Amino acid sequence: MDLENQKRVKEIADQFGPENVIVVLGAAEGEAAGLAAETVTAGDPTYAGPLAGVSLGLLVYHICEPEIKEEVDADIYDEQVSMMEMVLDVDNIITEMTAIRDQYTKY
Amino acid sequence: MNHSVLKGTGYVLVHVPGMVMHHGTTQTTERSAHPDSDYLKELPKHIRSYEDCLAYPPNQTYIGNLSIEELSDIEEPWFDKKTEHPSRFGPFGEVMPEDEFAVLMQICDAFDLVHLDKEFVQTAKPKLEAHPLITAAMLSLIKEGQEPEVIRRQVEEEHAQPVIVGDKLVGYVKRAHDVDVNLSAHVIFENLVSKASEVLTILHLLKQSGVDPNDVDYVIDCSEEACGDMNQRGGGNFAKAAAEIAGLLNATGSDTRAFCAGPAHAIVEAASLVKAGAFKNVIVAGGGCTAKLGMNGKDHVRKGLPILEDCLGGFAALISENDGVNPEINLEIIGRHTVGTGSSPQAVIESLVTNPLTAAGMKITDVDKYSPEMQNPDITKPAGAGDVPEANYKMIAALGVKLGQLERAELPAFVKNHGLRGFAPTQGHIPSGVPYLGFARESMLAGRTKNAMIIGKGSLFLGRMTNQFDGISFFLQKNTKKEASSGVSASAVITAMPVIGVAIPDSELGEEMVRSAVASAGKNGYKAVLIEGDACLKRMDEMLIAGEIDAAVAAHNPFPVGVATVGRIATPALGREMFLATTTGTSATDRVEAMVRNAIAGIIAAKTCGIEDPTVGIANVEGGRQCERILQTLSENGYSLRFADSARADGGILMRGNDLLQGSADVMVMDTLTGNLMMKVLSAFTTGGGIESVGYGYGPGIGEDYEKRILIVSRASGAAVIANAIEYAAQTVRGDLLTIARCEYAKAKKAGLQKLIDESKQRSPGGPPVAAKAIAPPKETCTEEIHGIEVMELDEAVEALWSEGIYAESGMGCTGPVLMINDARIEQAKAILQKKGYVH
Repeated sequence: MDLENQKRVKEIADQFGPENVIVVLGAAEGEAAGLAAETVTAGDPTYAGPLAGVSLGLLVYHICEPEIKEEVDADIYDEQVSMMEMVLDVDNIITEMTAIRDQYTKY
Repeated sequence: MNHSVLKGTGYVLVHVPGMVMHHGTTQTTERSAHPDSDYLKELPKHIRSYEDCLAYPPNQTYIGNLSIEELSDIEEPWFDKKTEHPSRFGPFGEVMPEDEFAVLMQICDAFDLVHLDKEFVQTAKPKLEAHPLITAAMLSLIKEGQEPEVIRRQVEEEHAQPVIVGDKLVGYVKRAHDVDVNLSAHVIFENLVSKASEVLTILHLLKQSGVDPNDVDYVIDCSEEACGDMNQRGGGNFAKAAAEIAGLLNATGSDTRAFCAGPAHAIVEAASLVKAGAFKNVIVAGGGCTAKLGMNGKDHVRKGLPILEDCLGGFAALISENDGVNPEINLEIIGRHTVGTGSSPQAVIESLVTNPLTAAGMKITDVDKYSPEMQNPDITKPAGAGDVPEANYKMIAALGVKLGQLERAELPAFVKNHGLRGFAPTQGHIPSGVPYLGFARESMLAGRTKNAMIIGKGSLFLGRMTNQFDGISFFLQKNTKKEASSGVSASAVITAMPVIGVAIPDSELGEEMVRSAVASAGKNGYKAVLIEGDACLKRMDEMLIAGEIDAAVAAHNPFPVGVATVGRIATPALGREMFLATTTGTSATDRVEAMVRNAIAGIIAAKTCGIEDPTVGIANVEGGRQCERILQTLSENGYSLRFADSARADGGILMRGNDLLQGSADVMVMDTLTGNLMMKVLSAFTTGGGIESVGYGYGPGIGEDYEKRILIVSRASGAAVIANAIEYAAQTVRGDLLTIARCEYAKAKKAGLQKLIDESKQRSPGGPPVAAKAIAPPKETCTEEIHGIEVMELDEAVEALWSEGIYAESGMGCTGPVLMINDARIEQAKAILQKKGYVH
């Protein structure tokens, strides 16, 4: 996750309280989604950004996961996400994301 | 349409391992944050030699030595593979080693800011002197060089940037101002690298395109650097600076910036400038970028790969006036990511790909090749960014599935057939769409590819001025112009002459005459094959479908309603070429609608034959005025039409008999039966009506969504007419009739064609047509014809059969309307039609 985004996630978590924040990712494949999820839960695995060593433990989902899909207006989801849903390996993303949530999410 | 053309390209790589270490931002950032990091210690072990970099398959592809197909055949990853006989120079450019480039940087320095080691100059200068493209004027700018002691002091004490070649300090770039950060040694170094690599690429482009440097009018630089001082940071102008060194004495230029989308924006601008007539030859060029060297180095080192981002990239293209040869940039098909588009991938692909195609009446499968960001997957995959081009193709295909243009199961095949493997260095603007232009041009000149869509995308948010993303796409197509207007001869281009099938089974003048017509066309350079036998018309259809012939000349063909043929004649005595729209078939069952559609078909035929902006006249027959009214409104609504003026004293769009004889309009619009009559009269008047001895025949069937090229000739045609029809048929292939038709119908639709026709029917005495009630049963193959149905009742007759559960289609044979039916159903259908009074 780029440094600017890490900074923004950290600021938002500080401002609103980590228990009140959900991070929604749009990464293009499982590994990248997993890395980003790890960054906002366990901390920046590359130890380069503001979240290095900071375990926020935020609740984190990918936009293509069913939990988020159900929350979105079906027409808008169709207009904005359905094409990528067709392209992405959604099962792999769900597996990666679930593993990170199970391990690191505190909320 | 007078599109600008892509007349040449240039692609250059410069192997600069020294710059990877000292100027790539990943490395400079690491050095300032963690000077003792393991990465910096490990990095030098991963630097490739020039020979390894040269033999790296994607690099050979970038300069044109290895085709994209050949590269695709090499199993990935590619970093451990070598091209068997790598060559420094390729059809598009070269891979320059860093020592020569250091001297080139010094040549490109106009402010005494670059200084090289004396000894180094002595060894490197002769290499540049041996370079085939470095001019004497450029060589004369090489300075003698300085002592190593001076160089070391400049770098250590005076903030100069080191020039490193093979681990050795061989020179420096000094700052151009004490305080101004925009003129710091770092910025000057970066900008001179960009300028020098741009110059080298332009030199290759000049060589490949053969254009006289003095004929280049304008240069647009599309790199991602900024030059200027503290009072005008980014003021420019790289373009003119590079043009000066490249010896383009009559050019000026300017810089276009749009992050990675810069080249695509610049090409659209260049094509527009040329098409507008402002300039004849415009070069678009972009040099390389030091900052991006080794950008993904940490991942590459961690995974034990060499540093693959060890090359600067350069790109250049020449956009010129249409020469009838080179591929055209069709500015009618431009995709734009607008401010309102939004940033979801779906919205982005819609705006750049499907929206412009839909507006042009095309489907995603109508484009042979797509070239989005062409990053080399060997570089991006280990860094976690995946295969960028492939991801783009999947998105385009997925959108096609959503639009119903593709089955989901066809998705992988679409990616394979319409996609390309990535091969470009990750130099920001360099991979963005344009790396394919060189191959696309070659492939279109050879007739292997008919069109391509080039897609540039850019991340504007990196500049922190907006959160917007950006992108622009343009459409490259095989040249559609009839003949070369200047320069290269047309015969040089058409390597594949279209093959025309000739099926005239029942010629009234005998088979021998048809044979001699085919032979005569052959002598004139056209390829025609005679299709003989009783079933020759069926065979012709099969050959068209199988692609064995590209177009056909036939004595007969049952065109569906909606399709009519556009005849072509030379007027008597004056010899003015004129298109008669139309001569057989039925554009529509309503007379006025048919004439309006005939006008569009006529325009399509004329444009296909190279008349860029044909004049349109309407024969003064019943319905002419209503047709005129609709065409006028269409024109006002944006379907631009050039109306002809009658030669009679009172003028006007309506054409009288004299105008028909004088050819007052390029396209003469009339109802089909009148057209048929006139075609016969104007073709057979010299023989007393016995033989049709002049003209090009009744012409190709043209209609919305009609995808065949079948031209009709009368069975009473003489050899000259048949030979002319073969020529006309070849023009429908080379002039790309089908693409022109799609564009014209899409434009007419956009201008409200259907609404205008419907309104006209409401006004007509008979009132609006009765809406179809019957629903078609499942489609069957229709090979039999039922004749003798009144044309006005044809659609009713079809529906009468549908309502009885029999599938039928309406059509037009050469003797009048026909109803087409499955051979197993013909007797039953005839009985029903007789009972209902449609046939007797």
